[in-house]
Amino acid sequence: MRTRSLFGFDLILFFSTMALLIIGILFIYSSSVSSTGIVFSREYIRQIIWAGTGFILVFTVIFIGYDRFQPWSPYIYASSVLLLIITLLFGQPINGAKSWLGILDFGIQPSEFTKIAVILFLAGYYTRSRNRMQYPSHFLIGFFIILIPVFLVLLQPDMGTAIVYIPIFLIMSFVGGVPVRYVIFVFITGLLLIILSLLPAWQDHIVERDIPFLTIVDNPTFIQYSLLSLGVITLTALAGYFLMKKKYFYWIIYVFLIVFLSLAGSSIARMVLKEYQIMRLIVFLNPGVDPKGAGWNIIQSITAVGSGGFFGKGFLKGTQSHYRYLPQQSTDFIFSIISEEWGFLGGFLVFSLFVTIMIRGLLIIQTIKDSYAVLVGSGVVAMLLFHFVVNIGMAMGIMPITGIPLFFLSYGGSSLWTAMLGIGLLLSIHLKRYSY
Amino acid sequence: MNINGGIRSMVEYTPKQKTFLFQKGRIFILVGVVILSFLVYTVYLFSLQVVNGYIYKKRAEDVARRVITIPVQRGEIYDRRYDVPLVLNIDSFAVDIIPGELNEENLSDVIHDLSQLISIPEEEIRKKIPENYRHIFRPIEIKDRVPFETISYLAERINDFPGVTWHSKPIRSYLETDSISHVIGYVGNITLEELQVLYNKGYDVRAVLGKNGVEKEYDMILRGQEGKRFRTVDVKGRRVEEEDDGEEVPPVLGKNIVLTIDRNIQEICEKALGARMGSVLVLKPATGEILAMVSYPWYDPNLFYTEEGQNVYTKLSLDPQFPFLNRTIQSTYAPASVFKTIMSVAVLEEEAFPPDRKIVCEGSIIYGDRVFNCHKKTGHGPLDLRAALAESCDIYFFTIGRDYLGIDRIIDYSKKFGLGESTGIDLPGEVKGLVPGPKWKESVFHTKWLGGDTMNNSIGQGYLTVTPLQLANTIAAIVNDGVIYKPHVLKEIRDPISGKILETTEPKVLLNTSIRKETFKKIKENMRSVITEGTAKVVITTDAVKIAGKTGTGEVGLKDRWNSWFAAYAPYNAPNPEDQIVVVVMVEASNEWEWWAPKAANIIFQAIFAHQTYEEAVETLEAWYMLPTTRFQE
Repeated sequence: MRTRSLFGFDLILFFSTMALLIIGILFIYSSSVSSTGIVFSREYIRQIIWAGTGFILVFTVIFIGYDRFQPWSPYIYASSVLLLIITLLFGQPINGAKSWLGILDFGIQPSEFTKIAVILFLAGYYTRSRNRMQYPSHFLIGFFIILIPVFLVLLQPDMGTAIVYIPIFLIMSFVGGVPVRYVIFVFITGLLLIILSLLPAWQDHIVERDIPFLTIVDNPTFIQYSLLSLGVITLTALAGYFLMKKKYFYWIIYVFLIVFLSLAGSSIARMVLKEYQIMRLIVFLNPGVDPKGAGWNIIQSITAVGSGGFFGKGFLKGTQSHYRYLPQQSTDFIFSIISEEWGFLGGFLVFSLFVTIMIRGLLIIQTIKDSYAVLVGSGVVAMLLFHFVVNIGMAMGIMPITGIPLFFLSYGGSSLWTAMLGIGLLLSIHLKRYSY
Repeated sequence: MNINGGIRSMVEYTPKQKTFLFQKGRIFILVGVVILSFLVYTVYLFSLQVVNGYIYKKRAEDVARRVITIPVQRGEIYDRRYDVPLVLNIDSFAVDIIPGELNEENLSDVIHDLSQLISIPEEEIRKKIPENYRHIFRPIEIKDRVPFETISYLAERINDFPGVTWHSKPIRSYLETDSISHVIGYVGNITLEELQVLYNKGYDVRAVLGKNGVEKEYDMILRGQEGKRFRTVDVKGRRVEEEDDGEEVPPVLGKNIVLTIDRNIQEICEKALGARMGSVLVLKPATGEILAMVSYPWYDPNLFYTEEGQNVYTKLSLDPQFPFLNRTIQSTYAPASVFKTIMSVAVLEEEAFPPDRKIVCEGSIIYGDRVFNCHKKTGHGPLDLRAALAESCDIYFFTIGRDYLGIDRIIDYSKKFGLGESTGIDLPGEVKGLVPGPKWKESVFHTKWLGGDTMNNSIGQGYLTVTPLQLANTIAAIVNDGVIYKPHVLKEIRDPISGKILETTEPKVLLNTSIRKETFKKIKENMRSVITEGTAKVVITTDAVKIAGKTGTGEVGLKDRWNSWFAAYAPYNAPNPEDQIVVVVMVEASNEWEWWAPKAANIIFQAIFAHQTYEEAVETLEAWYMLPTTRFQE
């Protein structure tokens, strides 16, 4: 049966991935060439090795079959969480975050692989409990599943990676049939939480003048009283809902709980987050306020991208990159060097390949009848989409700096393997589309 | 299999069936989200790279391109003979720090080591690279005049000094020091105030510019134009090889300047004045060229370029003798009896009083409730104009001024000779002096101008003040029959390599008094008689040339001490005006009273016209009294 499926191997998905990997290796090479033409880094060779082993992973996943992971997903998830804990305890701090687990000379980022583990486990949970999709408790347990790794990754602290779990969860819940109002509830709460957390810093550093409304939001006394009254209103509405079973009480709770949670969450976030972290998140709104510090990366990246023009400066001929104005060109800002050297054409090619992979992935799960496959597939696409939007948005200066790599292109084994595992899962789903 | 069962039940169970279908719809919503992100990002990328790409292209070039200035040699300065330079440049270096190449860890070490090496305090280095400079990849000058040995030490151990670099910064060397320093001036680092004014003229923070004298006046000519070389550099400021690197703006060399000063005459005048507060001017009336300009005390600008430069400068600035003052153009004095020449011109030209008619000097006259004395208390007896000028009789000119000329005509004639106005000499800081009058007194003192004021003014006392250069111009006007050429010290500008003359200062008429020639002829005769039979007869002993001039002794309120003036020209009645020179000597009353001005002039004329050195002239004149000062005893 498996032999027959091989003929249905999804070539579009496979070759798009291949193309992205090759582009990635080319530009990791480009980023390791100095302006004097000396190759000072062997990153591209390592990336080739990771890409090669990545393909082995793809075929391994195909060979095993995505469905075989389902019974094992609780164990995979548990060991991932364990790995995250071990990382927290014994990890090597790099750039201020304990996100690396070193084995001899070889380091991995467990937080990357955890994404796949979470997708597999959450898909399994939703599949098993699909009869209870309507219940909030079901949704809350799903949320709890992702909150554990989110919390552990936040402790590293690696805010960017931690945030990725949220859209994965939301999209999987959305596709999995959770009522839209729940998804919207979490989405709006999260959005409001982020906005409220950043508003005071935005006012101080970007707008640089007082906005009366914002000063109120930043006022601890005001927050205490607001939380108190919001809590009272919510509880009263809750009582009303249970006593009178009136629908409007439900919506009152819905709205006030959003405000309550985001306000409470934002005050906690402001206490936890350090000044530079907040600055990194908002500086893209006006990189000019700190051109030598937090704004430097954004300014250099926009300049690199913008100066590429339509056709680009030519491979290995980028100035911003080769004169090393552009930071982290092989990892976070790989898109900047691509669009500097290959211009709009190169950027468009990268967009097209990504979109091909994502749409292809969605079309595969659209045809399949197995709800586990649908959930796993949507999780993988959600992960790819979020990384794509945030990383490239950052390179173009319209998204905050979060340190999220661009899958397939950015240098790094862990993120590459994670992406390859995702592709393996999609290919496996495609192969087995007639099995059920 | 469990899963198969699950799926089957999902398909069969009607409410779930509905959910399942809804899921498929949601997948298409997701497809829409993906396509939307794709479209939005494509449009944004297009606007960034294609529509607005030119903005970023320019920015990318600007960032990667750094301008490197090519320093140019400042022009040299010569005297009128154009053989040996008076000023040239000596190689020297300045040590810089590029703050961006230092980080928090090595900053302290580098500052500590560097402070040891170039021996300046650590705080001073820190002050020059404040916190907000720490990201800058531009060299900040820490110390100049660093000896070559230090630089070679630094070069050998450059790895121990990250972020430290140096640049060539030649220092000015003034070979001829002494009195010429007032003409040449000196250079210094640009101050913030100067930069604000001069920024648009192409001066930058590291500029060295003339602060005084010719160095200041002709700074733009001397400094030339720094070249610019465009280098593509990386983020650390390291040079990157690029094919189109050759692009540059070539430097324009600083031009050499040839002064009108004759260094022999300058030296003669300097020695003749000796260590006395005062000044000597030698002017060529036919062109306005300054042949010598001595002001004592002077300063040695080379001292500013030593370790204690700042201290020397401060000390000199506070010196009560004002060594920075060029007394020939920056000090004003009452012209005293020298003013009587202008009075004589006015009398003759206006025919206000017959030159032959005599006025009797009895030693003093009474006007109002004041007694006006002549310098000769016993009185000169009856005098005509010629004798009155020769004897410098005050009574004669009191009377003429008060009764026959009147203050308005005195003012008129003073102004005809350029008093109270700047001469426009090509040196900075010239002052104008003052020609007083009723209006002036009214506005300053709120009192009326009185006859006594006119009388004082008539003998060059009172409120009237002039600079020695203005008096030299007055004499020049008499020599030139009424024409004053603009005095100048710049003879020509020469190419620093070929020596080709690029520009020559042509004589330019400053004033034309439009006074009759006969008047000047008469005045010249009268000035000659000052030497032959008048006040200067005993002092002007030289036979080398016929001199005509006027002495002056100015009251300044010191007991037994007076300002001593002597303003003269020679040769008297020379057929060729080119040969004539004007000499004005001014010795301030602060010195011992020696009636020094005519004595100094005597030697100056002797030495110049007999082509002798100062010592030879003294010997010829047997004027051994001329050598008493300690300066020449050794």
